[in-house]
Amino acid sequence: MGVGTTPPRIDSHDKVTGDAQYPADRAPDDALWAKVVFTNQPHARLVSLDVSAARATDGVVMVLTGADVPVNDYGLTLFDQPVMITIDHTGASDVPCDVSRWEADHLAVVIAESVETAEAGAAAIVAEWEPLPILSDIDAALAPDAPLLHPENGEGTNNYHSYRIRKGSMDEGWARAAVVVEATYEVPYQEHAYLQPEAAVAYVDDEGRVTVEVAGQWTHEDREQIAHSLDLDLDRVRVVYPAIGGAFGGREDMSLQIVMALAAWRLSQRGETRPVASVWSREESIVGHHKRHRGRIQARWGADAEGRIVAVQSEAWLDAGAYNYTSNKVLGNLHIGQGGPYEVPNARIDSHAVYTNTVPGGAFRGFGGPQAAFAAECQMNRLAEALGMDPVEIRRRNTLRDGSTFITQTPMPDGVTLPQVIERCAAESGFATGPDAPTGGTGRPSPRPFSPFASLPPSTDALRRGRGFACAFKNVGFSFGFPERCEAEIVLHGDEGAEKPERGELFHAGADVGQGAHTAFLQMAAEATGVPLDRMEGRFSDTSSSGDSGSASASRLTFMAGNSILGAAEEAQKAWRDGDRPARGRFRYVPPPTEALDPETGVCNPNFTYGYVAQAVELTVDVETGHIVVDRVTSTHDVGRAINPALVVGQIEGAVAQAHGYTLSERLRVSEGRVLNPRFSTYLIPGIGDMPAEINSVVLELADPRGPWGARGMAEMPMMTYAPAVVAALHDATGVWFTEFPLTPDRVLAGLRSASGVATTARADTAP
Amino acid sequence: NTADADTDDRVLDRFSVIGSTVNGRLVRAGGAVGVTLLDWLREEAGLRGTKEGCAEGECGACTVMLDGRAVMGCLTPAARADGATVVTVEGLAADGALAPIQDAFIRTGAVQCGFCTPGFLISCAALLEEHPSPNPEQVRLGLSGNLCRCTGYRAIENAVAAAVAGDAGAERP
Repeated sequence: MGVGTTPPRIDSHDKVTGDAQYPADRAPDDALWAKVVFTNQPHARLVSLDVSAARATDGVVMVLTGADVPVNDYGLTLFDQPVMITIDHTGASDVPCDVSRWEADHLAVVIAESVETAEAGAAAIVAEWEPLPILSDIDAALAPDAPLLHPENGEGTNNYHSYRIRKGSMDEGWARAAVVVEATYEVPYQEHAYLQPEAAVAYVDDEGRVTVEVAGQWTHEDREQIAHSLDLDLDRVRVVYPAIGGAFGGREDMSLQIVMALAAWRLSQRGETRPVASVWSREESIVGHHKRHRGRIQARWGADAEGRIVAVQSEAWLDAGAYNYTSNKVLGNLHIGQGGPYEVPNARIDSHAVYTNTVPGGAFRGFGGPQAAFAAECQMNRLAEALGMDPVEIRRRNTLRDGSTFITQTPMPDGVTLPQVIERCAAESGFATGPDAPTGGTGRPSPRPFSPFASLPPSTDALRRGRGFACAFKNVGFSFGFPERCEAEIVLHGDEGAEKPERGELFHAGADVGQGAHTAFLQMAAEATGVPLDRMEGRFSDTSSSGDSGSASASRLTFMAGNSILGAAEEAQKAWRDGDRPARGRFRYVPPPTEALDPETGVCNPNFTYGYVAQAVELTVDVETGHIVVDRVTSTHDVGRAINPALVVGQIEGAVAQAHGYTLSERLRVSEGRVLNPRFSTYLIPGIGDMPAEINSVVLELADPRGPWGARGMAEMPMMTYAPAVVAALHDATGVWFTEFPLTPDRVLAGLRSASGVATTARADTAP
Repeated sequence: NTADADTDDRVLDRFSVIGSTVNGRLVRAGGAVGVTLLDWLREEAGLRGTKEGCAEGECGACTVMLDGRAVMGCLTPAARADGATVVTVEGLAADGALAPIQDAFIRTGAVQCGFCTPGFLISCAALLEEHPSPNPEQVRLGLSGNLCRCTGYRAIENAVAAAVAGDAGAERP
């Protein structure tokens, strides 16, 4: 079985028997334990640090501080973060290392014989801090007298990164507008909440390489950042991923990678050969890794009487938190998404990333796209309302299609299938297409009674039904001129005289974060080589055996890995025909180039391809309690070609669940630079009973001209449109537009009670 | 039951060794006082299939069967397993043959990252013991103590249905 089939996942047997090993399961019995000590200071200068008592604690083997870090800075796209906060600056980095800018900045690593002794050592550390003003949000960071969090970058402001789009003439656009809609949207944080908290095991391997077994998304980038901070050659560092317990973008940046590599390296220099392990608690995980960005988008859109968009003016701010992580890249995605998936003749868009003393924003399924799509799709639905037009019809009139010019003033890559996706979603969901169809909350089937808790009898009088529609694009692959590439190696084994190989091996670094990538890789390798799937073996996610695959992100892995596998198969088959035994084929796939945004106009070719999504949501809201039940979501996707149809549906259903939580229940409370609810008991991700009653996953297979077997990326797409579709449905049910979420019952009630419809609970988020 | 009675009469201190029938095998190990059943299973009994996701009883990744009931291993004192019978994910398969619910998880795509899977399997096993043919509401109730961030739960519901129906059951379309 190869492409287009659904064989069992290659890892599923081990995962149902308990044999699958995640990083925390890999610690041998004699492992030392490492405790990473956070500063617990959102903004303060380190005045003194005394670890002597920690070092003297029974069972403590070693205490590492910033003085032990050769190059005390790191970062995925900018080196703006110290590995550890320290007074003893080594001089090899530009970042002032004595200032803690985030409560989860690292202060020390205590290595001990056991978890308990490591904790005891950590408790014996004495640090003295000089408090600095805490910039707790974007407004505080942009205040004229705000201290600079990163003076080393020379920007002179905490708004350290901005983009512009200047297209057409705004005056002409507004002059043609029959309707104008304007709103300010506040988008919330989201925590990844992968079930496996951060963990790592580190040691120096038999070939002298500092080795870290960890759950990440990009082995070679982890290795690069470790090598940078430890000032080691790349070939002296090895990164291996065992089973990974979910990622969703949350493992794209460093957590334990650098400090655990440092620990293993310093231990080995002292002659200590035992591996060292560390496991974060859930609290440490939620406090200690980045989030989906919160932000604000002010949007003003105009359309002519026929519903055609004539002007888009938009300005957005992202709370980047204390360090950049991938904020500059996320900002780019947010930037080009603010015009929606539409033809926009005139646009003025400004986007800003702002440093604050809060948890860093970073990669999370959609990567800036969902925030942009929330504003854009709410604006589109408001335009439809203002014009008395059907929400599907207005999209039909504006959608990007083949030959369209994108908002960055370059042609869209061929294969723009959004028009087909919109039509299919409208048809599958029964969404009205004609102008006479009802668009209000009346005339719908009776709502299914529900109540907030079981002992309260449902009251049908208070229930209102509504439905909403939204659509979006999302880039597949790295954007804006990043040197995108992916490598694969295939080895074919068999007898010299044999016509066909007996078995094959695939070497690939691409991370299986749970999505099933490795199964899909082997299916593609089997298809490309003709070797039966059960005789194609995978050697995965180890920098010592594979070339660079790029990350499991940007909905890129099936697309990029598939093309690399096709190339490697061709090379291997050529070697096979030449008589090589085994026959080896290596290939590095490089997609069509992309370009950075022009700093003044934003003109560029930002991406080499996109995926397309449309969703229709039907919901019921109790206007007396504020509770919302989603009755049905129709999630429609062009995946180009479903390499493994069950895995595709798994991604859709899982992403809908994650989007459902983002939209309705997940509220991360951050105040004065501190996460107040770093637990699953207070940060509420959907459980089985919270899910939409019906998820209708609709999969189209309209080939991407550049995709392997026509495949497109798809894993982020369901995340893009759910929040605006729910807001549209809530408006349909109640007549009130909400501009912020999650739509928790208190926020819904407050919104319904406010005449203007502007939710009044925004400050509740920051109240202590 | 008599095991409970025995436990009640004993005073456990930090040197105590507890004995528990884990997956049909008598395990006697120390380090049982002041630790959770989850930690005792993982570190003393050497069974690392059961996971810690939150350590506060919210996510259910640590779910194990204690005398036939699904319990949160992260909240259960290890000493409570003294003289008791424990089943973990490693004990679901018999002589290498997967239990129907394990097989169903594979067939319906209920496994993604897999970190929640051991806990879900135990909750499913407990559910099916109580309701051999559960209705959708019983499924939701029985699995309401387990969180999954990958699948959206639909495939897990399908797995329960498939396990009930046997081989002819609800495969994915």
